[in-house]
Amino acid sequence: MKLRGIGVGSMMYGLGYGFARPDFSTTDIELAPDGTVTIWNGASELGQGLQTLLCQLVAEELGIPYEDTFIITADTGRTPDAGPVSASRSTYVQGNSALKACRDLKKPMAELAGELLKTDPDQLIFKKGLVQDQNEPSRSISFTNLAGGMHQRGRRVRGSGYHSITTGDVDKETSQGDAYATYAWASQLAEVEVDTETGQVTVLRLASATDAGKAINPKMVEGQIEGGAVQGLGFALMEDMKIEQGEFKNAKLSTYLIPTAADVPMVEPLIVEVYDPTGPYGAKGVAEPATIPTAPTIFNAIANALGQRVRFTPATPEKMLKLLGKLEEKEEQITIEDMPYPEP
Amino acid sequence: MDENNLIKMELTVNGEAVSMIVKGGRRLLDFLRDDLHLTGTKEGCGEGECGSCTVHLDGQSVLACLTPMERAIGCSVLTIEGVGSPTNLHPVQAALLDEGGVQCGMCTPGMVMSALDLLERNPDPTIEEIIEGISGNLCRCTGYKKIIYGIQQAAQELQAASPAGTVKESVE
Ligand code: FES
Ligand code: FES
Repeated sequence: MKLRGIGVGSMMYGLGYGFARPDFSTTDIELAPDGTVTIWNGASELGQGLQTLLCQLVAEELGIPYEDTFIITADTGRTPDAGPVSASRSTYVQGNSALKACRDLKKPMAELAGELLKTDPDQLIFKKGLVQDQNEPSRSISFTNLAGGMHQRGRRVRGSGYHSITTGDVDKETSQGDAYATYAWASQLAEVEVDTETGQVTVLRLASATDAGKAINPKMVEGQIEGGAVQGLGFALMEDMKIEQGEFKNAKLSTYLIPTAADVPMVEPLIVEVYDPTGPYGAKGVAEPATIPTAPTIFNAIANALGQRVRFTPATPEKMLKLLGKLEEKEEQITIEDMPYPEP
Repeated sequence: MDENNLIKMELTVNGEAVSMIVKGGRRLLDFLRDDLHLTGTKEGCGEGECGSCTVHLDGQSVLACLTPMERAIGCSVLTIEGVGSPTNLHPVQAALLDEGGVQCGMCTPGMVMSALDLLERNPDPTIEEIIEGISGNLCRCTGYKKIIYGIQQAAQELQAASPAGTVKESVE
């Protein structure tokens, strides 16, 4: 028999390290005579798109084309410490420090522009390749010419930005308090089909809504959401980490199975944008928030289909058949008996 | 392995004749990466599970980690280095970038080689056929969707460019 069910899962996630643990980043930026800029940041690009993101933020803040930005990341000889790439903190912390580096560089640039344009540096804005008096737009100089001028006169052409989101700790006695600098939210919705003959659980549809604050690069955010959901699906249905005495017993792709293209639905990403005043242009991290709700969502859908809770991961066909009483109990089942789940 | 087991590897790699005396008894993957320094072909698992080492051997896609190097003698091998170039990407590569089907990039060379193999056999695949075509290639980052759409986009472009032609023509 094939049974279908629908489930929802939601989560709240504290971004960064929280609980008074050091959480900071420094970004350096340098202006070249031709108006291009180079960004130095110590965080590593793992494919999540950090380099693209920082270049986009810097281009926006300085009002220059994306193509005029260059970036060097995770070079311990040259890049300042940015802390690890973890806790979904990169957009939030690295992004803010990059914006601060830009603002630091804009100070001497505005000073010189003010001298050249005979205007108040505080009234200057950086937009569309120009540095312009916002009250008197005819007073303007191109960013490129200003960059050349900065170098000719030996002005400061480097900027540095330090950003810390280190929070206070919670109350030692009561564990109450605001542990994180900001929080992320996500919800997912899945439809599954459980084949009671084979034990196979198939996720037919999976929609994932993640609050990105502001999606600096929507396509990359979608990539994080889709990839995160598929990892979460693997955790729910396939990925069985066997650890004995601290040692992985199946650390191979032939014994530790992860989803293939044939195992997953086309995840439907939904980017939710609730401006976060503490994030760079309102943005925050989406990486882990996109992964966390998937397994609960799928397990809720399975419960909806079966009318029975599954209390183990992963819900492999074998374990599902045992649960359904269609397979002899051979090994001890991993159950979490006293989890306070409501019965469906 | 016999340290003195030297063999002569004579074959064509990415259209160029190669003749080398090297240590035998290894995998095609080792020959490509260690002897020819063609490191675009990745080793994700070394046991035939992930597809990141996919190359073409006489037009057939094979897993270089399971192929003995001797098997390639006298054959023509195509690796990712022979498909497009950074300034002149193959439509499949361009479409993967365009769609956002590349994150860490570890799976990408193998995905491209599998996609080329698929489009060679089936220039106008359905979504299901694309999924089947890349189901031997694992990707941990993207969730596959953007890769699948990228391949579909490339197929459409290639079809439009040369309806009767084959993918081969655009392979350097
Ligand atoms: S390295 Fe050959 S299949 Fe994984
Ligand atoms: S992009 Fe990272 S494995 Fe596919």
